[in-house]
Amino acid sequence: MAGVVAAPAGQAGLAAAPARGLPADSTPWLLLAPATLALVILFLLPIGYVLLLSVTDPAVSIAHYRRIFSVPLYTRVLFNTFTTALTVTGVCLLLGYPVAYVMARRSDWVSTALLICVAVCFWTGFIVRTYAWLVILGNKGPVVAVYQAFGFGAPPRLLFTTFSSILGMVHILLPYMVLALYSVMKKIDPNLLRASASLGARPAASFRAVYLPLTLPGVVNGSILVFTICLGFFITPILLGTPKDMMISQLINQQIEELLAWGFASAVAVVLLVATSIVLAVYNRFAGLDRLWG
Amino acid sequence: MILAIAVLVALFLIAPILIIIPMSFSTAVSFQFPPPGYSLGYYRAYFASHDWLDPTVNSFIIATASMIVTMLLVVPASFGYVRYRFRGKALFNLLMMSPLIVPHVVAALAYYGYLSSIKLNGTLAGVVLAHGMLAVPVAFLVVCATLKGFDRNLERAAMSAGAGPLRTFFYVTLPVLRPGMMVGALFAFLASFNEAVVAIFISGRDAATLPKKMYESIRLESDPIIAVVSSLLISAVLFGVLLSVVLRRKPANVP
Repeated sequence: MAGVVAAPAGQAGLAAAPARGLPADSTPWLLLAPATLALVILFLLPIGYVLLLSVTDPAVSIAHYRRIFSVPLYTRVLFNTFTTALTVTGVCLLLGYPVAYVMARRSDWVSTALLICVAVCFWTGFIVRTYAWLVILGNKGPVVAVYQAFGFGAPPRLLFTTFSSILGMVHILLPYMVLALYSVMKKIDPNLLRASASLGARPAASFRAVYLPLTLPGVVNGSILVFTICLGFFITPILLGTPKDMMISQLINQQIEELLAWGFASAVAVVLLVATSIVLAVYNRFAGLDRLWG
Repeated sequence: MILAIAVLVALFLIAPILIIIPMSFSTAVSFQFPPPGYSLGYYRAYFASHDWLDPTVNSFIIATASMIVTMLLVVPASFGYVRYRFRGKALFNLLMMSPLIVPHVVAALAYYGYLSSIKLNGTLAGVVLAHGMLAVPVAFLVVCATLKGFDRNLERAAMSAGAGPLRTFFYVTLPVLRPGMMVGALFAFLASFNEAVVAIFISGRDAATLPKKMYESIRLESDPIIAVVSSLLISAVLFGVLLSVVLRRKPANVP
């Protein structure tokens, strides 16, 4: 933020009352300074501290990083995190697309009802929803009750499995996917589909040739959003999953909670941060980060 | 066909949440659905339990205070960002977005170490500062979007009618932008209120927030009071979303 250029004359005083009496040039400085200072001191500095610890605790070395990428236990955690995030993203896309499609194409009460379901789910906290799955899949839950009512005998173990962990994560991240898709689909001009139909395309063909390509930005946005959140997912896999499916964030927690291994935990955190940043940087190159959360 | 799939998926989203509400009136001692009987016992227990009420109060205090911190930083920054050209604008935007880029568990670890070193670990102030930073991107996006849609001719009109910059700001600019800022503030409040990962790491015992308490309650014991807390939270969300639909505003969107 070095060197403020061309603050439009006469607008300086308007934009911010506190800056009155100072040269026009300094106004944006004063406006940006509090947020900049706060984020640098209270956000970047703590993160930098983690970076530092990862190569200095207990001694200056890159041994932690070497361990992460060479010990099979840890490489499996990395691999598992990656494949889990990929699976969850794929399932979210498959389930989310039809919902967003119906929401965007209709404008009656069905669309409103779907939107209410998605929004309520979106705003309900992670923990509440994870708890809901604990009840539903639990030993005394409705799934087991139905299973036994049909006389199928002992139900399979549902809770604390790979399945329950993925199910919980999909439930939590699906609203992000639906809303990302919906915001793109809502802007598609319905006349385009009418035009392709009038030119003789069947519904399936005009969906494939016209609608689907137009929704791709939403597909990419939703997928990136879900994938990056999933990479760092913490609560749901701990509460619903099994230790053998450990993900990166659980490894960080375990190293701190049980072993107080600051250096190693920091190194794992840095790996997670770098992985997330790479995904977002690639996205940024092609689309611009601002659109992701717009 | 597609409609059927969409409805099924929507049910998949909403049904597990709604199932919690009858659970909260249950007489069962552990997680059980359908409940064996109904009573208000756990509601009474919740409102009599300091183990649950203290985190509830903490959550409200922390969310309110961190919302104020966030807005004090974000509102001036948004004016500066939207209305001025300056070198390093892209970098500034990246800085404002950084809490959204860094995974929460990484931020949690970072704050755990950092706040310990400045003796703020496990204090309300520590959690407020952390949450105040984490909510910056969401609020910044909302306030900037509002500001970009603001017609500056309104300000010019006020000025040409003889209002000074201060008067213009408080009588024209602020009232027009208020709804957008309220939405930004609401998002900041909810970002803190729902935030669990960082709170689990740094809020300790004295400053424990509701999500932290719920997390520990699930992990260590199967305390049925959690169904009561969840039901209250779900009811609040239901109320808010339905209200926004009734008011015909665009319902809750991606932050």
